[in-house]
Amino acid sequence: MFKLVVRGIRANLGRLLLTLISVVLGVAFVSGSFVLADSLRSIFDGVSEDIFAGVDAQVRAIEPELNSSGENEIRFDESVVDAVRALPEVEAVEGGLFAFEQTYSLLDDGEVNRPLGPPVFTASWDGPSAVSSFTLVDGAPPIGQQVALDLAQVNAGEFAIGDQISMSLPTGEPEDFELSGIIDFGEGGAGGAYFNLFDLDTVQRILESGDVVDSIVVNGGSTSVDDLLAAIEPVLPEGIEVVSGETVIGEQQAEFGEFINIFGNILLGFAVVVLFVSTFIIYNTFAILVGQRTKQLGLLRSIGASGTQIRLMVLIEAVIIGLIASVVGLFGGIGVAWALKQLFSTGGGSFPDGPLEIRMRTVIVVVIVGLIVTVLSAIIPAFRASRVSPLEAVRDGGQKERSMTFRLVSGSIVLIPGLVLLVLGMFGDIDGTAARLGAIGFGAALSFIGVSMLSALFAGRAAGTLGAPVEATRGINGRLARDNASRNPQRTAATATALMIGLALITGVAVLTASLLATFDDLLEDALTADLFVYEANQGLDFSSSVAEQLDALPETDNVAGFARVEMLVDGEVEVVTGFDTATGTEVINPGVVDGSADLSLEGIAVFEETATERGWGLGTAVPVEFEDGFATDLTVELIFDDRSIVENAFIVNRELSRQHVQIDDISFVGVTFPEGADVEASRVKVEEITGAFPQLTVQDNTEFQEEVESQVGQLQIIINGLLVLCLVVAFFGIVNTMALSVLERTREIGLLRAVGMTRNQLKSTIRWEAVIVSIFGALLGILMGLLLGWAAVVAIPDSFISKVGIPWGSLVIYLVVGGIIGVIAAYFPAQRASKLNVLDAISHS
Amino acid sequence: MTVTPEPVENAVRWAARADRASKIYGSGDTEVHALREVSVGFEAGRFTAIMGPSGSGKSTLMHCMAGLDRLTTGSAFIGGTDLGTLNDKALTKMRREQVGFIFQSFNLVPTLNVRENVTLPSDLGDGKIDGAWVDEVIETVGLGDRVTHRPNELSGGQQQRVAVARALATRPEIVFGDEPTGNLDSKTSAEILDFMRRAVQELGQTIVMVTHDPVTASYSDRVLFLADGEIVKQMENPTADSVLDTIKNLGD
Repeated sequence: MFKLVVRGIRANLGRLLLTLISVVLGVAFVSGSFVLADSLRSIFDGVSEDIFAGVDAQVRAIEPELNSSGENEIRFDESVVDAVRALPEVEAVEGGLFAFEQTYSLLDDGEVNRPLGPPVFTASWDGPSAVSSFTLVDGAPPIGQQVALDLAQVNAGEFAIGDQISMSLPTGEPEDFELSGIIDFGEGGAGGAYFNLFDLDTVQRILESGDVVDSIVVNGGSTSVDDLLAAIEPVLPEGIEVVSGETVIGEQQAEFGEFINIFGNILLGFAVVVLFVSTFIIYNTFAILVGQRTKQLGLLRSIGASGTQIRLMVLIEAVIIGLIASVVGLFGGIGVAWALKQLFSTGGGSFPDGPLEIRMRTVIVVVIVGLIVTVLSAIIPAFRASRVSPLEAVRDGGQKERSMTFRLVSGSIVLIPGLVLLVLGMFGDIDGTAARLGAIGFGAALSFIGVSMLSALFAGRAAGTLGAPVEATRGINGRLARDNASRNPQRTAATATALMIGLALITGVAVLTASLLATFDDLLEDALTADLFVYEANQGLDFSSSVAEQLDALPETDNVAGFARVEMLVDGEVEVVTGFDTATGTEVINPGVVDGSADLSLEGIAVFEETATERGWGLGTAVPVEFEDGFATDLTVELIFDDRSIVENAFIVNRELSRQHVQIDDISFVGVTFPEGADVEASRVKVEEITGAFPQLTVQDNTEFQEEVESQVGQLQIIINGLLVLCLVVAFFGIVNTMALSVLERTREIGLLRAVGMTRNQLKSTIRWEAVIVSIFGALLGILMGLLLGWAAVVAIPDSFISKVGIPWGSLVIYLVVGGIIGVIAAYFPAQRASKLNVLDAISHS
Repeated sequence: MTVTPEPVENAVRWAARADRASKIYGSGDTEVHALREVSVGFEAGRFTAIMGPSGSGKSTLMHCMAGLDRLTTGSAFIGGTDLGTLNDKALTKMRREQVGFIFQSFNLVPTLNVRENVTLPSDLGDGKIDGAWVDEVIETVGLGDRVTHRPNELSGGQQQRVAVARALATRPEIVFGDEPTGNLDSKTSAEILDFMRRAVQELGQTIVMVTHDPVTASYSDRVLFLADGEIVKQMENPTADSVLDTIKNLGD
């Protein structure tokens, strides 16, 4: 029997190969995700170890419960460095200071030299001792009015050692520094980030931080780590701790590992979707193959093969296909992971290189997944094959179709729970957005299967309807295409399913983003009243509050309001609270006053309406708060507001109050208005003269801000679609496969048509239009399902994030056209093959 | 490309003819001569049967004459057109407009109804067809009440009648039948052959059919006997018995 299976596979090699592709794509995605994530993890584990090589211990501030210092580490007095250095147990000690986005090298024309995306770090040179995380590639360490830059930055600026480089500083006054050396971070770069290194005193001066450091690295020489920690501990003031180098490395690796895990899981999620789509393709191919072999199977039955043996035969075939596809997919995935890694390290700037990490787990999971998916998809066709009666060997004619009632019942059994889950996710009493979206996801998967089963009921009529205009415009070719598309509704439905799922997901994402933007546009209209605003667009980092002060001092500006982000305890919980310039704040934004006044006193707090309702607070409620410096007091609720689109947080306090209790008085957003009738263009030039000293800042008006958000959301959508496109690729191969099998099945018919006068081009056109009708059917179903899913997700997502359903009509039309184009391309090879058939051979084909 | 009409001999008009037609399959040791320099003409308005044992070249001759296959050397003409000068597209057009086909089985497109199958060749072309004529042909073959039936709703005999109707509907120069009644019982066969006979007599249609059955051949005006790729004998006004005798003699 095994021989029969192998012969069967060999005889149908071409058709099975196409099936193989759909499994391979899904499996390769899984394998690529694993290998890429594993490799990145191991590379960055190596980088962490590299950076902290030679560091036996690190002294740092204990992370407090409240930390408003943003991305920066907590700083402490430099005297600790001397205290540690005085210990006899230590060999090398360096205090360091580190900051995000504060200094930039300027090009000859005064333009800022900064990478697209990755941040620019300002740091103290902590070498040249064994504890340094920087490697000097060329030149000397920076001393005084000198700077050391990383290689990428030097290349971008075409700098040379000894050059006087103009550096932009947070004080707003650029200074010249001599380039003393070129450095590397760890080994092999830091993902495209730039580094500006000065000596510690200079960093302290530039940052106006006073004599502080945020980290002290220690090498103990021959002292054991335990002894070293024990020796340092007693000399540290309160709030400062010492940890071993291993602890620091472990923390870093864990932090990055978490990021990699999320990244890997997202990729795996998409891989699962692709595999899900593949299932339908594999099912369809096996179903068609079994149908075409009905006679052969009947013959086998008549010479004594049992139903069980037939079923086993089909399943063994599936196992072999699954195994081959898994192995090919495994290597394919490894190849893709390798290519991506190369792309990261060469294309995307300096990304450290390292070996590919192929774990046994990857191999096992990939092979099992490939096998399960293939065999699972072949089970129904296998059972159908085992029901072929011996009589069918002699009877002419195709396979028996399942009764419509059976389809209706079984399809409904799957679809109804799917829809129930969708409704539960939307309106059910479920806590948490993630759980709601989870219900919707599960509901969507079931609905896809259900719709696929039920669509066989109407695929024939639908294809007939969709084909009507084709027939009207394409004459007999269109007529034949339409008839062929509707003659086997089961096949049309199964073929269209893959495309349906792919386009449903893409449409769903489009609906979500359109809704997000619609919600945002709506809010922005009301919420932002400033003529201009200033913020760090790249990473949303905080910046010096002196920007707001300088803008306020301009005669051209009317109202200037800065907004700060402060971590504090509100009613016992850590919350991010907005610090708000009460005098001018309501001139630049509209928080949506529900009750009370936005003119907050130093003892007042504003609460978001939903939060207030949840907690049962109203105007006058006394709310206990505590700031990071330990200052605790009760604030009175003076304002209830309902618009969080600009003020992202649920609480607002007077900035006069918050600035008294934070270590770094930074702000995240400045709104500016000009006086009535002012020359906006000219005034803006003045504003930009000031912000020009802070190259990380972006100045925008409402329209530009809106465009910025749209482009960011658009980019996210492109990335998601880039991953979902694989579903379309699988669907594409599914259509190619079905068309090829259909053409094969209709060889005699094609021969006849050619004999009585159908030209090659007419034949190709017939096949092409058939594929287009099937694809458009799938695309339409997909768009409808996508609208449903997108709507469901919008309802499930809290109103404070997305409150309005937006329908991207333009995109929907494009998706429909894309569906048609997929059909056209998918039909190319089957049509080519059909048109090359020898008429005589085709006519005598059995 | 059109070739000027050949000079008419004895006032006979040839619907189709072959001039030293040869067909060789394979090459070298495996070379098979299916046709050896066959020259033959099919007179307009006559019914010709081609007979011969398996491998005699009778089907090859018909396929090459009908523009379904190409000769290795020599020429085949339909009307005055040398098929060898036509590219695939022109040849297809020729089959569509000038040739009718009746195959042994699988003559019809399953998704089209009776009338659509009959008008298929014309629909593939400019779609201009004499509707009254189509109705008449369908009526003549006795399917007037079944024009909207699909092939799977018809018996084998009815399907062949549709094929005959299709072959006649475009008023082609010549109709080729490849064992047109090979799959039918004798009563149904007789009906179909009667239609074909009448088409020749009453409509002046030219028909050439390949058959191995002497009774079938007896419906024709003339029988050509092929053996080893050559015409070895021809017989005017055949009867089943005379054909059978000839076949027996050829075997000796």
